[in-house]
Amino acid sequence: MIHRNRRSQVLLVAALGSALLAGCVPVQPLAAAVEHVDVVGSPVGDRPVREGGNLVMGLSAEPDRLDPTTSSSLYTRYVMSSICEKLYDLDAAGNIVPQLATALPTISADGLTVSFPVRTGVRFADGTPFDAAAVRTSLERHLNLKGSQRKSEMGAITSVDAPTPGSIVLHYKTPFAPITAALADRAGMIMSPAALASAGAGFGDKPVCVGPFKFAKRVPQTSIEVVRDPFYYDAAKVHLDSISYRIMPDAITRAANLRSGDVQVADTISPQDVDALTKDRNLRVLQVGSLGYQAVTINTGNVDGAGEPPKPIDTPLARDPRVRAAFAASIDRQTLVSTVFNNWFEPACSPIAPQSPYASAASNVCPPFDPARSRQLLAEAGQPVPLPVRMQVSNSQDQLRFAQALQASVAEGGFDLQIVPVEYSTLLDVQKRGSFELLQLGWSGRIDPDGNTSRFLGTGAAANYGGYSSPEFDGLIAQASRSTDTAARAELYGRATAVIQRDNPIVYTYRLRSLTVHSAQVAGVEVYSDGVVRVGRAAFLPDEES
Amino acid sequence: MARYLIDRLWQSALTLVLASIVVFLGVRALPGDPALAMAGEEADPATLAAVRAQLGLDEPLPVQYLQFVGKALGGDLGRSTRTGTPVIDMIGATLPVTVQLAVYAMLIAVLAGMAGGVLAAVYRGRWPEWLANGFSLTALSVPTFWLGILAVVYLAVQLGWFPASGYVSPLENPLRAIYYLTLPAAILGLSHAAVVQRQTRSSMVGALTADYVRTARAKGLGRATVVFRYGLRNSLIVVTTVIGLQLGGLIAGAVVTERIFTLPGIGKLTLDSVFTRDYPVIQAVVLVITASYILINLLVDVLYTLVDPRIRVSGRAS
Amino acid sequence: MTTLAVPAPVRWRALQKLARNPMGLVGAILLLIVVVAGVFAPWLAPYPPAEVHFATPFQQPATVGFALGTDDLGRDVLSRVLHGTRASLQVGFLSVLLAVVVGVPLGLVAGYWHRLDAIVSRLTDLMLAFPFLVLAVGLAAINGGGIGNAAVALGIANIPTMIRIVRAETLRLKDTDFVLAATAMDAGPVRILGQHILPNAISAIIVQATVIMPAAVLGEAVLSFLGLGIQPPAPSLGIMLSDAQQFLFRTLWPGVFPGIAIAVICLGFNLFGDALRDALDPKTVSEGH
Repeated sequence: MIHRNRRSQVLLVAALGSALLAGCVPVQPLAAAVEHVDVVGSPVGDRPVREGGNLVMGLSAEPDRLDPTTSSSLYTRYVMSSICEKLYDLDAAGNIVPQLATALPTISADGLTVSFPVRTGVRFADGTPFDAAAVRTSLERHLNLKGSQRKSEMGAITSVDAPTPGSIVLHYKTPFAPITAALADRAGMIMSPAALASAGAGFGDKPVCVGPFKFAKRVPQTSIEVVRDPFYYDAAKVHLDSISYRIMPDAITRAANLRSGDVQVADTISPQDVDALTKDRNLRVLQVGSLGYQAVTINTGNVDGAGEPPKPIDTPLARDPRVRAAFAASIDRQTLVSTVFNNWFEPACSPIAPQSPYASAASNVCPPFDPARSRQLLAEAGQPVPLPVRMQVSNSQDQLRFAQALQASVAEGGFDLQIVPVEYSTLLDVQKRGSFELLQLGWSGRIDPDGNTSRFLGTGAAANYGGYSSPEFDGLIAQASRSTDTAARAELYGRATAVIQRDNPIVYTYRLRSLTVHSAQVAGVEVYSDGVVRVGRAAFLPDEES
Repeated sequence: MARYLIDRLWQSALTLVLASIVVFLGVRALPGDPALAMAGEEADPATLAAVRAQLGLDEPLPVQYLQFVGKALGGDLGRSTRTGTPVIDMIGATLPVTVQLAVYAMLIAVLAGMAGGVLAAVYRGRWPEWLANGFSLTALSVPTFWLGILAVVYLAVQLGWFPASGYVSPLENPLRAIYYLTLPAAILGLSHAAVVQRQTRSSMVGALTADYVRTARAKGLGRATVVFRYGLRNSLIVVTTVIGLQLGGLIAGAVVTERIFTLPGIGKLTLDSVFTRDYPVIQAVVLVITASYILINLLVDVLYTLVDPRIRVSGRAS
Repeated sequence: MTTLAVPAPVRWRALQKLARNPMGLVGAILLLIVVVAGVFAPWLAPYPPAEVHFATPFQQPATVGFALGTDDLGRDVLSRVLHGTRASLQVGFLSVLLAVVVGVPLGLVAGYWHRLDAIVSRLTDLMLAFPFLVLAVGLAAINGGGIGNAAVALGIANIPTMIRIVRAETLRLKDTDFVLAATAMDAGPVRILGQHILPNAISAIIVQATVIMPAAVLGEAVLSFLGLGIQPPAPSLGIMLSDAQQFLFRTLWPGVFPGIAIAVICLGFNLFGDALRDALDPKTVSEGH
């Protein structure tokens, strides 16, 4: 009896073992690529809501100083969207609409005078009146403050006038079409002159602007609290009592907190978590295509620091455009995006997002993945295969994963990519000093394509980390920034893209989608094409079926 | 005993001074220019020179060190280059959180560990010992962050027994504070509980089989009395040593736990400040952590003298 | 002329005791598996550990071609676990090496010469004042992360305990008869330390090594989780766990096997170390239980 049991046991184990060894489970294929439709969220509207409550938002990175003039972090814009309104804003369709201004700017025929009306009868969070003089103070601060990051975004302004308490006039040396878009971003954030006078450079510690909420408290590296502003001109549309922005750098922590309900909104949800969160009936997913890009910057001339005249560099990538073209041809963007990002992101080959009004067939064109051609180009350039190249990457998990995938992809084309992980702040240092061969970094994107191109590729631009210089490119971009005709500008940017894809100073890889998830108990959370999560007019729904 | 304590006191002071020198030199060895970090990317040479003078970077190293010490003793630990907040305020806000977490974790570790150790020793050879040993071995073989993530996913998200993140100050609401801190403290304390359990068990076993205990039992003392009066007393010595030695792992665990549960503690501050190259913060935080370690080691030694009669009598550590 | 402090028959008895301890045997077997896996990883692994298979990410274990499944980039989990074990063992071994090379001489010196004891104690206190994470973070900030930094930080963190143990052993052995005899015969301190004290302290050192190893493996996992340890695409068990935790809501499998590997390594060292300590414990040996 025991003998037989023992034998059947052994047989069972043997069977299982051989089944395991043979591999009894067939390969599970990748999910097919799907079309993604933007879901930007909708305002509360007329729905019945519960007044009050504290909304907790999980932020994926810590904002820098809350000072519109000096800030350079995308995450600061999230917090500012609830406490610091701008002259202009975006609407759900991605159009620029007035916010603190009352109409779109009027531009003179020669393009040198830009004027727009601003609201009157409105107050800052500290109770002081908002008027054109206050707007002028802020604009001048953006232009003149030492360390201002806004100056280059505003163009060659010679003076700012406030002829009446309700109007502003900007005088330009040369026409600058991107100014409207710039005023729909941090350059358009208006600060309380009284607060500026008393705090000066310390404004960022206790910002005071016009907004549905006002700044309350900040615990460094942990949270930022804002509370309802009674002075807000549209206070009737504000439902929450307060918002807590909690800093949660790990995507899995944000996802877990969303599911447990400890956090009601979270940004930058990982593409690997979204599917599980979509299935959760208590959560809603918002998604919008980014206007920015992720790319690999090649150092072609940055020796003395970004912004300095470029000098020749003696590496195959820097010297020979064929080697760069080979690199660009050896990146299998579609496969990378479907594996690493679960098909949520899109391949990108140019700095202009396809959904931008300035996109064109020329800017959307993507050179095909051709490892054979890459090897051929390398052979023509007389380079050994595999050609070793070094790429510095921020050591965040997503970036490292993509870098490893990229490494595998370009190996087919004959490149031996070495990955050098580096902390984010060191990376910013490295890119400025030019001590890199290849660099993987992204850009959050601007509504106006000028914000995606001239600052990075214009000769001598402060953020031209690759040291690229092309008079042809400079000419096209300058021309585009002077024109106000969208179609004309699109055509120029299309030609500029062709130049970039020929010279390959930056090899664009993918474009992400902003993935934001919020609780079904909350309404009025919106994310527009600039990727900023707007919770200023959100509200809790009453506790019944929603 | 007084002699021993005075010895330990000046030894700790000396260690503190040496540690501060190491921290000072270590921060100077970090790549990158602190003046540049502070002045900002666009700064011109004149501003840079001014900032360097302000930070005292042109002075010879020993002078810089003395300036650093002088300011530190006066409570000025500099300002964060990233947010401009005085570092002393940042530490004042974050240190209490970590202390609460660490104390709570150690409490759980000591209570759970000793209970487990006593159980394992008293029921030696039977199933409670196997269970206790099994738990402790598992706790020592799995990384804390993995347990933490699993705890968040299963206990917080799926079961909803605990919050997944956040911190409430005990000054606001003591009960909620404890509730929010329980899961992180349990995760942090788990591996230390295992160490305490193993040490307690082995010292209890040693005590229980020692001759003097056999004599006590022969004289008619009850089993419980023997266990608690002799066994536990000896274990306290061992546990105290263990707590002292475990502190190193506690700060590493605290960094990870604070990150997973989003607790605004000093561990998180340390890590973030290194990644953002915030030199004044790095310097101050490392100094505070090392000073705390030295202090705690001193306290442990004091505790030792109270618990280990051999030291009291001979005046030296054995 | 060499005299062993522990007579040969007792040593043999210790070995016998070790062999009879079932938990110790389990630990030894686990260790054997782990060491074989680590040492022969390049030959045992079916794929190179960094080889990506874009078409087949997140495969379950026992999928055709991938015995333990694949990770988020389609890399074979079995190959990565084998190489990761190798890397973890390397970090552990380097840490032990550092702790032994620095800690043992310092411990011997501290135990033997009372005046130097004070200096060594201050040094130990100084090392104890810096938690290993602060050291790792500091080294990573200066050098960037990497296996070397992790090993150095972990090694330094374990030096104080090694010093204390060797010092205690030296103090204990200093007053034994054979050492006194050697001194009487004008043997120099180096000879005494090297030929008499050190060989008898070896067992305590080995036991401590079995304590350092699991601590180093776990420490490496923590450092990798924080981004300070072994850098990708080099595989390490810590990195595999840290990667796997990003995908917990998608699938649990990528984290299971590196977790098991870490647990097996630590269990092996813990069980074997415990058994070794029991076997070498002079009390139990002399009582002949």
